[in-house]
Amino acid sequence: MKKIVKTRWFSILFWVVILAAVWEAAAFHVAATKRNPENILPHLYQIIAAAFSTQKVNQSMTATQLVLSSAATTVFRAALGFAIGVASGFVLALLMNLSGIIEKIAFPYLMIIQMIPILGMAPIILSITGSINVSRILIAAILTFYPVATNTLAGFKSVEKEKYELMASYAAKKRSLYTKVLIPQCIPYFFTGMKISAPMAITAAILVDTLQGDGGLGCVLSQSLRHAMSISVFWLIVFFSAFLGIISWKLMGWLEVMFTPQKRHLSKKKQTDGKDVELCTKEKNRSGKSFLKAGVLQR
Amino acid sequence: MTTEENSRNEVEISIEDLDVTFHDNSGNEVRALEGVSLDIRKGEFISLVGPSGCGKTTLLRTIADLQKPTDGMIHVAGRLPREERLMQKFGIVFQQPVLFDWRTVQKNVELPLELMYYSRKDRHQRAKDMLEMVGLSDFADSYPSQLSGGMQQRVNIARAFAIRPEILLMDEPFSALDEFTKEKLHEDLLRMWRQTNKTVIFVTHNIQEAVFLSDRICVLSPHPGRLSAIVDVTLNRPRTAEMKYTPEFNSLVEKVRNSFEGGSI
Repeated sequence: MKKIVKTRWFSILFWVVILAAVWEAAAFHVAATKRNPENILPHLYQIIAAAFSTQKVNQSMTATQLVLSSAATTVFRAALGFAIGVASGFVLALLMNLSGIIEKIAFPYLMIIQMIPILGMAPIILSITGSINVSRILIAAILTFYPVATNTLAGFKSVEKEKYELMASYAAKKRSLYTKVLIPQCIPYFFTGMKISAPMAITAAILVDTLQGDGGLGCVLSQSLRHAMSISVFWLIVFFSAFLGIISWKLMGWLEVMFTPQKRHLSKKKQTDGKDVELCTKEKNRSGKSFLKAGVLQR
Repeated sequence: MTTEENSRNEVEISIEDLDVTFHDNSGNEVRALEGVSLDIRKGEFISLVGPSGCGKTTLLRTIADLQKPTDGMIHVAGRLPREERLMQKFGIVFQQPVLFDWRTVQKNVELPLELMYYSRKDRHQRAKDMLEMVGLSDFADSYPSQLSGGMQQRVNIARAFAIRPEILLMDEPFSALDEFTKEKLHEDLLRMWRQTNKTVIFVTHNIQEAVFLSDRICVLSPHPGRLSAIVDVTLNRPRTAEMKYTPEFNSLVEKVRNSFEGGSI
């Protein structure tokens, strides 16, 4: 029994059951109090039914087809913005590390980007750029930029003095110092930044979608709220967006393992041990365990 | 005198009246070395010993051009330390292994060879030989995080030997290791030194270690760092672990200990 409780699947199942129970309780409550529009919080089976229904929700597509096709549009825009944000974040971190002057000028003010309510400014950005597509990509890029830049810079700064001195003793050129030491060492930090910003880029793209038509998840989201396109579509999109966010985060984790040989090696070893591939889950488990132990001690 | 003896008496590093002053992290002026003069012969194994703060690491770093002298002169093979560094004549071993986590053991040893534009084949062969010398052939494809501290330090030493440096500078390389590993590495180091005949400058605060390894021991005293004595180690070579229990060994340890100013550390 203890062994089952410890597995990852058990904790997932635990949360699914709890959330479903809370959801259903809320759905019954909402149905009893008669909100407008009606059935605003449908039962889970209604949402699942909507996902598998063959009934067309607009001229041409079923609910699932609509969600998937708009998701493709949204993900494409988010990915484009994300790529631009990642590239510019990395380049800025590199420049800040190369030049103390650039770091002094840029670093203290980098924080400010985080402080500006970019999503709130979306309507203004839309009217300035005049194109919903450009503003979507721009906003996703701005949100991606900061975590990538700061984490990458932290990665460069994590290189110990001894490594610089060792490279100096080999008379290594600056270029080799970067390609052989600084960039490889900052890769895990760089991916930490990307793990933070990938779901943010998707959220940003969806939110900007709600402003104007032209397809995308956010666009369908607001339509489904306004018209009676069936509220289930709305919830279908909410669930699917959450799923996309998780996938984008996971994808960064997989890419990280691919690009960090030492982690790839460890994960290979773990697979042969029949254990989990993801490294951080093990750490999580460990901290969870020590927490439990502390609880036991207190008792 | 044979030619080999001649080359052994040749001065490799000459240090004249060296002063080094630097500022620590809190901005205070530290007089690390004052008026140090020393000649180190080619192929010699020389130890710098002394309590912490005596400037032994600073002296090593100044020879390696990682620290600028404030006054005085250092010549390495007749040139300035900087020129020698740029000619890749130094091999440095720090107290910490300073390995690169993302490279296998083999690739860690190959790194300096890559910087020296060795061909892939030569790099591979040289690193393989070095790993064999330190007894880590079976771990060539492991990553540093999979090795014990002693094994990591052996990789570090293999890497330093891989570039065949003229001068090997070692800064307390074994001080973080347990006694058993340390003794094993002492013997490995002496064997590699004998095979390659490099000049070794070895910083340590362990007197027994210095006596066991060295030809000469330079004793430094702190505040400011000065060279207070040079002790010739008269033990025969090759050295064996049994020598550590001889009266001769112990009297040398005693002699080094007594040369610290004030009689003891």
